[in-house]
Amino acid sequence: MSEGFIVSGHDPRFERTLYAHVGRPDAHTLDYYLGHGGYEAARKALASMTPDEVIEEVKRSGLRGRGGAGFPTGLKWSFMPKDDGQQHYIIMNADESEPGSFKDRYILEDDPHQAIEGMILAGYAIRATKGYIYIRGEYRRAYDRLVAAIEEAYARGYLGKNLFGSGFDFDLYVHRGAGAYICGEETALMNSLEGLRANPRLKPPFPAQKGLFGKPTTINNVETIASVVHIVARGSDWFAQMGYDKSKGMKLYQVSGPAVRPGVYELPMGTTFRELIYDWAGGVREPIKALIPGGSSTPMLPFNDDTLDTPMDYEHLAEKGSMLGTGGVILIPERACVVDVIWNLVRFYGHESCGKCTPCREGVAGWLVKLLGQIERGRGKPGDLELIEDLLDNIEGKSFCPLADAAVWPVRGALRHFRHEFERHIEEGRCPLEKKGFWG
Amino acid sequence: MGFFDDKQDWLEIVFRNYPPENRRAAVMPLLRKVQQEEGHVSPERIREIAEILGTTATEVRGVMSFYSYYQAVPTGKYHLQVCATLSCKLAGAEELWDTLRAELGVGPGEVTPDGLFSIQKVECLGSCHTAPVVQVNDEPYLECMNRERLRALLEGLRAGKPLEEIELPGDCGHEVRKEGA
Repeated sequence: MSEGFIVSGHDPRFERTLYAHVGRPDAHTLDYYLGHGGYEAARKALASMTPDEVIEEVKRSGLRGRGGAGFPTGLKWSFMPKDDGQQHYIIMNADESEPGSFKDRYILEDDPHQAIEGMILAGYAIRATKGYIYIRGEYRRAYDRLVAAIEEAYARGYLGKNLFGSGFDFDLYVHRGAGAYICGEETALMNSLEGLRANPRLKPPFPAQKGLFGKPTTINNVETIASVVHIVARGSDWFAQMGYDKSKGMKLYQVSGPAVRPGVYELPMGTTFRELIYDWAGGVREPIKALIPGGSSTPMLPFNDDTLDTPMDYEHLAEKGSMLGTGGVILIPERACVVDVIWNLVRFYGHESCGKCTPCREGVAGWLVKLLGQIERGRGKPGDLELIEDLLDNIEGKSFCPLADAAVWPVRGALRHFRHEFERHIEEGRCPLEKKGFWG
Repeated sequence: MGFFDDKQDWLEIVFRNYPPENRRAAVMPLLRKVQQEEGHVSPERIREIAEILGTTATEVRGVMSFYSYYQAVPTGKYHLQVCATLSCKLAGAEELWDTLRAELGVGPGEVTPDGLFSIQKVECLGSCHTAPVVQVNDEPYLECMNRERLRALLEGLRAGKPLEEIELPGDCGHEVRKEGA
C-alpha cells in the first residue's frame, strides 16, 4: 500500500461501482437502475454544477481514457469550443475490438442506463445536445438492451427535452458497426458514422475543432464515460484515492486464456497481475509462459515473479516496456508457440489495415504477415529477424494512424523476450512445438 | 419491386438518427437490413440503396466492401462465423473451423447444397473469456464451443429449431466470471 492509496481489491475501502450491477437479474431495466441510485449524478450535475465545473471535477479526478491511449479525459473535454453557436457531438466509442477486450460489452448488456447517464453528463460538460453510441455490429444483445434502455429513458423523461427541469436537451442515437477494427480509431469512427469508408482522417483538424459532420466532437470509451457517473456522484477525491500517481480510479481488467475463472474484474488501478490472476481469476489451469498485459497491441511480458508483481497501470507497465492498453490480459500457455501467437496477431492487424497508407498496407499487411508466416511454417532464413526489425523501424511512428504501431508493438515484445523461439524455428526449419490438436 | 418499397416507415425511423442533410450516413443500417433479410447484398440492392441515399452505387459498394459483415455472394440460411483471433485460437478455434469444414463440406464463400449453411472466419468478437466463439447470422454469441456443442448446434439448426431453443450440452469446462460483486 502506498501513501494510503487504494491499490488492491482486498482493501476494505474499495467498493465496486462500474460493475456493481453487472450479472444481476433485470439490472438493464430503468426501474432497477432508479432503484439503485440511477440518474442521481446527472440530476445533481444539471441542477447544481455548470458544464465547466463538471469538466474541472473530471480533471481533478485524474481520469484517463480507458480505450487504451490513456489521454486525460477532463483535458480532452476542455478542448471543446465554448459559446461557438455550433452543434456539438459527444460520441461513445463502443466499438470494442481490441483482441483480449470485452469489458464494455457487459456495461452495455447489463447496465445500459449507466452508459446513458454518463452520456448525459459528458454531453452537458462539452455542451453537446446530441450524442451517438457507436457500437460494434456483432454485439447483438448489447445493442438490443441499449436500444430498449434508450426508449425507456425517453418515455420517462431521462432523455429528450429539458432534462430534470434544467433546460438542457439531450438526444441519444445508436449506430451499429459492421466488423472493422479500424472504427475504434476516432476519426475512422466518425467517417464510418457519416456513411463513408472508415479510413482515418488527417489531424489536425482535431475532432474538437471539426469532428462528426464537421462539428466539434468528443469521443470517449464506454468505461471512461461510465466512470464519470461515479466521479460526479462521489467526487473526484473519492476517485483519486484509488491508484498510483498518474493512474487513478477503478479499472475493468479482463482475463482470457487458461485462467481458472476468465472474465472481467473491476479493481483499483495499480492492482498487481498476481492479485488479478491468482486471487480474483482463481489461478491458472496449465503452465503459462507469457502474458499480454492490455489487449493484443501491448507487448507481451514473460510470466515470472517480476511481471506478476507489477502494478497494472500506465506508468508501471511503461517501465516494463509495455502498456496498460484496455486492461485485457491474455495468458499464453507453455504449449503455445510464440511465433504462431504473434503471427496470429499480426495477421489480425494486417486483415484490419484499411490500406490507406503504405507502411501499414505494405509493411504490416504485406511483409510482416508473410515473413512471420514463413518462419512459423519452417521456411525462415538467417537474417529474417534482422529484416523484420528493420521493417518494424520503418513502420513504427510512420503510419497514418496508430493501427500499424499496434501491430509493431507485439512483435517487438515477442522478439525482446522470446527471440530464442524465433531463432529455433529458423535453425531447425520447422516449428519445434509438437502440434497437438487442442481438442485431442 | 424494390426491397425498401414496403419499408418506408422503417426508413423514416432510420433517417431520424442522422441530420437531414446527411442522408448517406444511413448507408450502414440499410446495408444491414438487406444483409439480414436476403443473406447478401446484390448489385441490384446496392443500386437501390444508392438511389434512396442520393449517392452512387460505387460509393455504396465502397462502404460495403470495407466491412466483414456485408456479403457480396449469397450465404446460407445460417451463416456461421468462427472467431479466429488469439484467445479463441488458444482455445481450439482452428479445430473448430476444421471440424465445421469437414462436417459441412464447404469452404468460405460456398453454401451447402441444402442452402442451410455457410461459414466464415472472422476476427475477435470480444468474448475472449468464453472462447472459442461462434456467431450465427447476427444473433447473440455461442460460447465455449467444442465438438459436442458444435454437433448439437448443427443438429438443432438442421431440425429447424430456432437458435435460442437449441440446447448446447455441457458448459465452458471452467468457471466464467463477469459479475462485479
